[in-house]
Amino acid sequence: MTEKRNYMDYSLIFVVIFLLAFGLIMVYSASSYEASIKFNDSTYYLRSQLRATILGVVVMIVMAVIDYHLLSKISFLFYLGSLGLIALVMTPLGIERNGARRWLNLGMSLQPSEVAKVALIIFLAVLIVKHQNTVNTFWGMVKMMAVAAVPAGMVLVITRNMSSAIILMGIAFLMLFVAAKRYTPYVVVAVLGVAGAALVVYYVWHLSPAEAAEHFRLARVRAWLEPEEYSSVTSYQTLQALYSIGSGGVFGKGLGQSTQKLGFVPEAQNDMIFSIICEELGLFGAMALIFMFLILIWRFLVVASNAPDLFGSLLVIGVMAHISLQVILNIAVVTNTIPNTGITLPFISYGGSSVVFLLMEIGMVLGVSRRIRFD
Amino acid sequence: MQKKLVVLFVFVLLAFVALSWRLVHISQDNGESYKKRVLSQQVQDSRVLPFKRGEILDRKGSKLAYSEKVYNLVVDSKMLLADDGNHVEPTFDAIHKCFPEVNTDEIRSFAEASPSSRYRVFAKNLTWDEMDAFEKLRKKSVSSGNASKKSVSSGSASSKKTIQGVWFEDAYLRRYPFGTLGCNLLGFVNGENLGNYGLEGYYNTTLDGVNGRQYGYLNEDSIAESTMKIAEDGDTLITTIDTNIQTIVEKHIKRFMDEHKNAYREGAACENIGVIVMNPKNGEIYAMATYPVFDPNDPLNEDVLSEVDVSKFLPKAYQEGGVSGNAVSGNQAYDEAWQKAKSDALGSVWRNFCISDSYEPGSVMKPFTVAGALDSGKITGEETYNCGGYLEVGDYQIHCHNRLGDGLLTVKQGVAKSCNVVLMNIAFAMGKEEWLRYNRIFNFGLKTNIDLYGESNAGSLTFDESMGTTDLAVASFGQGFNVTMIQMATGFSALVNGGYYYQPRVVSEIKNADGAVVEEKHARLVKQVISEATSAKMRDYLKAVVMSDPSECTGWSARPAGYSEGGKTGTAEMYPRDGINYLISFMGYVPADDPEVLCYVVIDRPNTALQGESTRLATVLNKEIMTEVLPYLNIFMTEELTDEEREELSKQESMFASGISENSAGEGEAGEEAPAEDGDEDAIVIEEEPPRTDSGGNIIGENEILYDPETGYPLDPATGEVLDPETLQPVNPSSDLPEVKLFGEFPEGENP
Repeated sequence: MTEKRNYMDYSLIFVVIFLLAFGLIMVYSASSYEASIKFNDSTYYLRSQLRATILGVVVMIVMAVIDYHLLSKISFLFYLGSLGLIALVMTPLGIERNGARRWLNLGMSLQPSEVAKVALIIFLAVLIVKHQNTVNTFWGMVKMMAVAAVPAGMVLVITRNMSSAIILMGIAFLMLFVAAKRYTPYVVVAVLGVAGAALVVYYVWHLSPAEAAEHFRLARVRAWLEPEEYSSVTSYQTLQALYSIGSGGVFGKGLGQSTQKLGFVPEAQNDMIFSIICEELGLFGAMALIFMFLILIWRFLVVASNAPDLFGSLLVIGVMAHISLQVILNIAVVTNTIPNTGITLPFISYGGSSVVFLLMEIGMVLGVSRRIRFD
Repeated sequence: MQKKLVVLFVFVLLAFVALSWRLVHISQDNGESYKKRVLSQQVQDSRVLPFKRGEILDRKGSKLAYSEKVYNLVVDSKMLLADDGNHVEPTFDAIHKCFPEVNTDEIRSFAEASPSSRYRVFAKNLTWDEMDAFEKLRKKSVSSGNASKKSVSSGSASSKKTIQGVWFEDAYLRRYPFGTLGCNLLGFVNGENLGNYGLEGYYNTTLDGVNGRQYGYLNEDSIAESTMKIAEDGDTLITTIDTNIQTIVEKHIKRFMDEHKNAYREGAACENIGVIVMNPKNGEIYAMATYPVFDPNDPLNEDVLSEVDVSKFLPKAYQEGGVSGNAVSGNQAYDEAWQKAKSDALGSVWRNFCISDSYEPGSVMKPFTVAGALDSGKITGEETYNCGGYLEVGDYQIHCHNRLGDGLLTVKQGVAKSCNVVLMNIAFAMGKEEWLRYNRIFNFGLKTNIDLYGESNAGSLTFDESMGTTDLAVASFGQGFNVTMIQMATGFSALVNGGYYYQPRVVSEIKNADGAVVEEKHARLVKQVISEATSAKMRDYLKAVVMSDPSECTGWSARPAGYSEGGKTGTAEMYPRDGINYLISFMGYVPADDPEVLCYVVIDRPNTALQGESTRLATVLNKEIMTEVLPYLNIFMTEELTDEEREELSKQESMFASGISENSAGEGEAGEEAPAEDGDEDAIVIEEEPPRTDSGGNIIGENEILYDPETGYPLDPATGEVLDPETLQPVNPSSDLPEVKLFGEFPEGENP
């Protein structure tokens, strides 16, 4: 019985639509004050985000319709192209915002690190399918990680964007972890990583404030440890986010009623949007949002385990790894669980490139899900 | 692989749970304190928008007091020092250019000391022009700064040097365009919009508005709302004050004070002086003045103390030995006492003598006694009394000022000649109860409720049922109890206007800031104190005080040329009863038959050799004021002018026309008039006391015998002393009045 039916994961579509709509509302709520002051137009950020979302939905539909196996044919080109885009940031096409050079001006602004994430997912999936056996060896893992390390290194060095580099490495790590049969090397790497991080924290903790201040990443770690001490400079954003969360209470102040977005939480529509959600909608709203992400990831799990082939499954695992990592790291930053680093909340935070390429990933997942066979 | 996928999912799930737990933890552990932080951050937005205090206008609409919008320069260190201090230099340059008086070094050291301060005032009361010049510079700098950073899409670079960190807050400054004019009526305002004295003090809450506020606040649902509450400006007072009449009154007071300064002894022309000009028909105050005057624009200015004997306010210990200001300076205790004395002296300048100080009224009280007796039917007005120069009351002989006695006098003559014996007899006819009843009907001992700050009622210094016969005797002619000027003027108005007691008032209308009438203050008839018929009789008697032949009356010298005036003189002996200190006064109204304007002059302890004989100072001051006020109020002359008066008036007019009205020449004219008028032998010639030289004899004509106006006793041509008419020996200047034991406050007096 090989009756082929068109399967559509409506739960996944519903969750994505919900997150997009919710994201637009929260971007408007968080940004309207700043937009009306800066641009004299409270809908400035909303309209920009809406355009990107519409474009993203189109891309998503296209990706869902085409056969995802086509992706394997262009994966290497795509991967190289994303590296090229990162390199382009150094040229005059690069745009500097808030003191960081991370964007490209290609008619519309584009963040190459977002492209790199999608490209890496596809390319790694192709590689793993090709070298299924070597993945289980230690050296195989190292080689695969090296594929991720190239864009990650470029992102770190050229755009000085450590968070995206971590995400890239994380995606590769998780994809390999799922693909491989062994646990030991991954557990060892994870333990080493945690130990290394602990060492850094220990080192910073015993630095004098002056020494710590010399390096901005060390300073951030320091500020994470003692947010109240650095409230005027480094940890200002984090502390204000904490104030937002704390002042929201259980049910929040009501949609649109945040006071912290009135200039206290800088660029509230970006990385720190989760704190505004906590303030306006309270713990209840925050939990509901986390639950929506959990459903999304659960749907990824379902699609990945039922995928018609390993390639499709790996693609979904990559997307799952990407979105899980970003959600966890973003909320961890906002709650000051880890040191501050600029990670956006998928679908919710303001950012055109991010939403377009996230929807592209969702499109891939939907493409995979459409080909699920029911026996 | 399936298994590993589930492991991954479980890890994600655990991470989500951990993060959720962390969220709950933050909210529970720090929720309240973070909520407070958020609230405290919001408060920084709040900003006061000051109200504008209401204006005070005179009856013609001239502004006596208004508030001018000014600006305070505020420095915001955080803004100033932003962007690595790029803005400091251009901002300081602009400040230098626009406000040279502001010390930028001070701002710099302040900004460096407290870099997070958002508010500190560095210059106050800047005009709009000064502020605007700076704002223009700022706009120029900002627009050029914007042009250069437009290419960069977002706020990374405000590194351009612009003027920032300085802003202006609104404030209001109280101004009194006429300076010292009407200072006691107006009062003044201290820095915090707090009215003191006068109208500013009395109507403080009316003149005050409500401060506005620009703020973000959290409503009951902790929802942030940002609002601007516009300030409500204060209400405007339209007063009954007439700036021109006030000017006339103050001008003549000033001239009096200047002329009689150091006349007899070193010091001011008198201890206190007060003049009230009002409309007796409705209680409207036209003018009210005392001396010295202060400038309400600068009430703390101590220059005015040159007119005041500050040492009077020193504690007794320092006064002895005639210590003058600098003699013992250096002694700290003394310096402190001196500082306190200075502030007390300043307080005395601010005080309005006309309403706040009480005194024994003297003979001006007599018409009240007569009116009470007439109105109660105790006398008819047809009685005659024999004045033998004194009356035995109890153990005392209470003398009339004319110790010779005036013989048989009608009531009218008794008032005209101000005969104490007649008045004592009338009071006895009334009896204690009736006299007290009328004393209360005329509101003595109670406030008139004039709408000025600081009215006193002198209630503890009036008689009650415990008064004895002697008390009644002296009370009949205004001794032994205290009144305030405004009580007297208000009561006297009722005496002559038909018996209607109107509450005196200064404000006629209150308008809000938009010009709409909030409250109209109509004439307020409190009660009818005496009948129309009694009032008519009183007008007849009081007219006789001024309009009779000079030998028959005491107030003839108060009459302005061409007008009929009624009134009453007063010469009150002060405590202690040693015959040295007197308070002289004159209450006059014009026209005599139908009063339109009333003027009350009180001079406390004039600087003359014989204060008891100086009543003329008050009548002449009244005449001078009336002579100018009456034509201004369009009150027409009713009496024929003698040639001398015509000449005098034309001289006066040309004098006013040439604008040297304050020249003392006018007074000289008035002085010469007296001998000219007394052509016939019997006339009482009252010479101004004292003569300009120390020896009183110099100014007395060779063949004329001068009589004291109050007592009628002849004066010694050589010394100016009052002589006993029988013995022609100098009368001991000690008192004619018994030392009345008053409320146990004063020591038992010796026999007269």
